[in-house]
Amino acid sequence: MTALARHDLPRQALGVLAVLLLWHLAAQAVLGSYMLSGPLAVSAYLADHHALIGRALWVTVQNAGWGFLAGNLAAILLALVVALLPQMRVIVAAIALVVFCLPLVATGPVLRVLYGPGPGPQITLAALSVYYTTFIPLLVGLRAAPASWFDLMRLYGRGAWTTFVQVRLMAALPYLMAGLQIAAPAAFLGAMVGEFTGAERGMGVLSIRAMRALDVDATWAIALVAATVSMLAYGVVGALARRLTHGRPDILLATAPERARGNAMLRGAGLAGVTLLVVLALWWVAMEAFDLSRFFAKRPDDLWRFLVTAPGAEANRAALWAASSQTLVQVVPGYLAGLALGAVLAMVLVLVPWLAGAVLPVAIALRSVPIVTTAPLIVLALGRGSAGTITIVAVMTFFPALVACIQGLRQAPGQALDMMRIYATSPLMRLWHAQIPAMLPAFFAAARLSVPAAVLAVTVAEWLATGRGLGALMAMTASTSNYNMLWAAIVVVAAGSCLGYALVAWLERAVFARVAPEQLRG
Amino acid sequence: MTRFDISRRHLMQMGLGGVGAMALGTRGVMAQDTSVALQLSWLHSVQFAGSYIADERGFWADRGLSVRLDAGGPNAPVEPPVVTGNALVGISAADYTASAVQEGAPFRIIGVAMQNNPFAIASLPDNPVNEPKDMEGKRIGMPLANMPVLQTLATLNDVDIDRIEVIPTQYDAAPLVAGEVDCLLCWSTDLPIAMYVQGIDSVTMLMADFGYTLHSQTYIATEDSLANRRADLVALMAGEVMGWEEYRRDLDAATDLTLARFPDAGLDRPTQIEQARRQVPLMFSDLTDANGFGWWTDDTVARNIETLALLGMPVDAALWDRSILEEVHG
Repeated sequence: MTALARHDLPRQALGVLAVLLLWHLAAQAVLGSYMLSGPLAVSAYLADHHALIGRALWVTVQNAGWGFLAGNLAAILLALVVALLPQMRVIVAAIALVVFCLPLVATGPVLRVLYGPGPGPQITLAALSVYYTTFIPLLVGLRAAPASWFDLMRLYGRGAWTTFVQVRLMAALPYLMAGLQIAAPAAFLGAMVGEFTGAERGMGVLSIRAMRALDVDATWAIALVAATVSMLAYGVVGALARRLTHGRPDILLATAPERARGNAMLRGAGLAGVTLLVVLALWWVAMEAFDLSRFFAKRPDDLWRFLVTAPGAEANRAALWAASSQTLVQVVPGYLAGLALGAVLAMVLVLVPWLAGAVLPVAIALRSVPIVTTAPLIVLALGRGSAGTITIVAVMTFFPALVACIQGLRQAPGQALDMMRIYATSPLMRLWHAQIPAMLPAFFAAARLSVPAAVLAVTVAEWLATGRGLGALMAMTASTSNYNMLWAAIVVVAAGSCLGYALVAWLERAVFARVAPEQLRG
Repeated sequence: MTRFDISRRHLMQMGLGGVGAMALGTRGVMAQDTSVALQLSWLHSVQFAGSYIADERGFWADRGLSVRLDAGGPNAPVEPPVVTGNALVGISAADYTASAVQEGAPFRIIGVAMQNNPFAIASLPDNPVNEPKDMEGKRIGMPLANMPVLQTLATLNDVDIDRIEVIPTQYDAAPLVAGEVDCLLCWSTDLPIAMYVQGIDSVTMLMADFGYTLHSQTYIATEDSLANRRADLVALMAGEVMGWEEYRRDLDAATDLTLARFPDAGLDRPTQIEQARRQVPLMFSDLTDANGFGWWTDDTVARNIETLALLGMPVDAALWDRSILEEVHG
């Protein structure tokens, strides 16, 4: 891996240069349109305001750092609990998913009311953005040790604790590092969104100010710095991972789906029902325990009245439905396009390997630019119609799909590929018959995790740029004190994301049952 | 999840404020001061300069009050901190307050910083909107949630709303400059200034000049505070009144103070001084000259109620409670 990276260095430099040149030309082309600022203007802005940006960056990095720490610690604790109490796994994972699917747009103001002034919401949002993507690979990692290792420990007469530390934890380390690497840019984004809830300083504050002031140089400078820091964080954690572990996990984030025992539909419905009950109970108990005001902290029974029994409930449902369908028609095509693009690009890179050095840094950059700064810019460039929003969702979905698919394609068994080469099979046929089937587990893992990411992207774009759909509804209901609608929208977003996740998982099982039954755990 | 220490920063802020006040030779924040919070409606800027002056000049400290100024933001709630008592007073607007009251919040308006509503229709000079009729046949950019505002303006001025094409945008001048829309619904004190500072001429039609009478930047407090914390409310509003009168006397000093107080907020002087100038006619009028900052009369309230009714928010005059201001100005 390291040798490969060193070998790729000139190509990566070439890629960066090409991007800079394209950026400069694009900025020249739209000069005076207040859309895009070129590399020269951005550099000039950074030179003039380096102290200001430096101070803001330090604030946001600290909050992101604390959130990164808190979120990942929570993920590790949760994963350890599940490792020690395996019967809790399914329900803990389901609730962890529900919490991860809560929309930042709506949790931000609620956290602000809970914490009052200070960095509380920034840190908590950063933590919420990271814990799930660490928790899931860790779950896999804790079970990733080969059975022979356990036999060896038993042969040496070691106890359960030593086995746990020496085998399970060590086997989980690469998976933990893979999760941490994704977490680093996500924490930065979470901290920036947190600053929108009433912070006094930070990169998020500066970006709001720059957008309002039509200060394109500042907007792009902030986006560039935020992206650079996110990429650095991604790179540093990655380098640390290579130092600490002897090789990357085989499949990033892939949890093998359970083989359906008995009636899968029935089991799924049962799990959904239990999860729903636990979430409702947690919701209600937390609000009562903190004695939160019913003015903004709506309980499940408030929502029931608002949506079902109260006069005007029909109009409330209609408003919610209208916003949800506006969001749905944008998130689904964007999500599918992002996945397809990621998979196709991964295949192209496998067929034309020398391209990877130039393309991958750009892809990581695209993913690392915090969406709160890119969303308005993309919408501005592509228009207020569906194209802009769909593109934003696609960008958010594309990167995890690309990385996962590249790793998946590399999983194709060497002997099979060698044999195909001996028979002079064309690269396309090798791709079709050996590499794509090997890619599927990683692809589906990315597809599942991308559902919440796509929903985050669409709601942020609606909130900050297009002014329609659930994102705008959530942002505006807070300012009109319609907290019933806000909580109803939270429920719709979280439930929708979980449903989407479940749908992909079901599809995954169906595909594997047909093409690769050995991928299902019995 | 751990509840992070929020009081440390608060203490630090108060400590710094105290040091600053003493450096200026005025009374420092003393231990027996009552601590309250004022929840602002947006990020720190010259929009709240009167409060900064009140703080720096010790107008609150002189009355035994220490006021923490909590910043707002695009995703920051104003009304909930006031309901829960985290903030004694919040800066809202008549329509926001009316909706909160409809949702069960026990609010009263105790002062009005903006006599005239800052909502405006901004357009470009070669395709201007000078009066509401001009909007017919044009594309307007605004968040869809502002439809009631547009509808009210149309009703008040006999404009056919079906002839206006609404393009959903968020709060941003770029769609107008890029030609995606012909006009924008915005505050006269922000997006038009952004264009002005960038060297783009724009035409601003203040909706208040066309019948859209609605108090903005209103000070709200709960009925409970009005009953049980009158002294604190009077002290807070007295400081606000003095601060804003000082502001009007010297806009440059108010702007400089804002810039010095928030070096990390990314504020620039040209924008801030222009905003300071443009909000003066919204905040001060013959009415406030005669009766003092923050004042209103039965007549202005009656016109507010008419506008609120058109917006679909029926309220009565009891929403406004002038007793605090009467003590301040009395």
